[in-house]
Amino acid sequence: MREVARAPIEDGFFTVPADPGEPPRLLGSRCRACREVFFPRRVVCAKCLALGCDDLELGPHGRLWTWTWCHLPLFGSRRSDGGYGVGQVDLPEGPRVQAVLAGRRDELAIGMELVLDLETLAATDDGTELVIFRFKPRSGESE
Amino acid sequence: MTLHGVAVLGVGMTAFGSHKGRSHADLAREAGLAALADAGTGFREISEAFVGYIGAGPMTGVKAMKEFGLTGLPVTHVENASATGLATFREAAWAVASGRATVAMAIGFDKMTEMIRGAGGRGAGRDQIDSVILPAAYFALWAMRRMHERGTKPEHFARIAAKNWNHGASNPLSHRRPDHAITADEVLASPVVAEPITTMMACPISDGAACALLASADFARRLRPGRPLVSVRASVLQSETYTPGHTFLGPVVGPATMTRDTARQAYEEAGLGPEDMHLAFCHDAFANEELEYYELLDFCRDGEAERLVEEGATSLGGRIPFNPDGGLVARGHPGGPTGLAQLHELVLQLRGEAGARQVEGARAGLAHLVGGGSVCAVTILARE
Repeated sequence: MREVARAPIEDGFFTVPADPGEPPRLLGSRCRACREVFFPRRVVCAKCLALGCDDLELGPHGRLWTWTWCHLPLFGSRRSDGGYGVGQVDLPEGPRVQAVLAGRRDELAIGMELVLDLETLAATDDGTELVIFRFKPRSGESE
Repeated sequence: MTLHGVAVLGVGMTAFGSHKGRSHADLAREAGLAALADAGTGFREISEAFVGYIGAGPMTGVKAMKEFGLTGLPVTHVENASATGLATFREAAWAVASGRATVAMAIGFDKMTEMIRGAGGRGAGRDQIDSVILPAAYFALWAMRRMHERGTKPEHFARIAAKNWNHGASNPLSHRRPDHAITADEVLASPVVAEPITTMMACPISDGAACALLASADFARRLRPGRPLVSVRASVLQSETYTPGHTFLGPVVGPATMTRDTARQAYEEAGLGPEDMHLAFCHDAFANEELEYYELLDFCRDGEAERLVEEGATSLGGRIPFNPDGGLVARGHPGGPTGLAQLHELVLQLRGEAGARQVEGARAGLAHLVGGGSVCAVTILARE
């Protein structure tokens, strides 16, 4: 069986590993002067305004800072049956990231450990799946 | 340079609601002519105009201005998402303060009904990854964190929403004008958009236009002798400062410090404090925001906002009425004109012309909006 090709809905924000079992990483930056870490990538440091940041990959783990359960469909997707989670996730490297959350409503709680994952939003005419990053409960890592 | 000596010459607006079949220019003309009539002047006297909208193409503002006649005046487009209207007002106030304009027009219009229709699946490039999550979710994230940290209940948000619905009932220009007293239970029972926010805690999808005219206090006194003079005490705009945990991707609520910093700058420039305000307007696109702004605008200490709700302090008749015209939740939030609608009501209140909604003895008030989670605008007006 031929593997389904996957591509990010937009380049430059997250990796799409060839192995579907491997979590993606977020593409961030670290200021060469003050070491502050950012997502997404930057050229000028937002904190000390120094020019020059180094690329680094962030995640795949994070901690849920706040979340909600939405009952309206996502833009660019038809998914709304029963709703879906959205959260702000603190990465150990520093940045706080907003993302869609996988998982059931009753398994989400502030402070819980999450892991990055990819969600398919749509497919192109040649069958390539367009994906966006999301977080899921770390207990579901083996799914 | 300060805004000292700048006054509001006149205000006008359309009713907010669905204006199906009417163009942006049509709505702008109605609001602008109402403001000119209120001021007692004509368009030929307008030196300069600042036009704000979110959901129309380039040059829509200049085209709309042609509705008033072609006099050659400079027209500048101003856009700052939800804060657009207050941003146009700030530009007009400074145009007068600098001496560049004798009479300046701030005008805003939008048709949210058309924006929403075009929104699904929209966007390419950066917009695309930025626009997957809906605005309600961002404010819901703030509400959930508040509930976690402070023990706030959805009932607190519901009471604020019910208050604003009920304020809107006596405002003929309000989009939502309920025919019965709205209860917190009714708000809680409406469909959930993003927990804990329900549809009745969220602003409706509105169209409309609003306009304010500014000039020197001397000019205003000459034009309308005997009318209470409403002066501009501060009109401030800030964007975010960097704080750890700043979320760059997606339109976010923004750090709480932004509203606090902007308000404190406005109080300082006005020479007035929160204790001097008789009424206030805020960005209650979602009712939980209003609760946060009680604290961030310094009307109570951190952690005391719930008590303000429980005491009814921010209802008409309370210590510091918030959003007496219904706010974004009831009066509506088309976008560009929203801040100018706040100032429309504030001017009526300060002149003592707000009828059933009149805050007794109102001498000073504040209007606050955030835009795209990334800018904050605060304007303070006072009756001389």
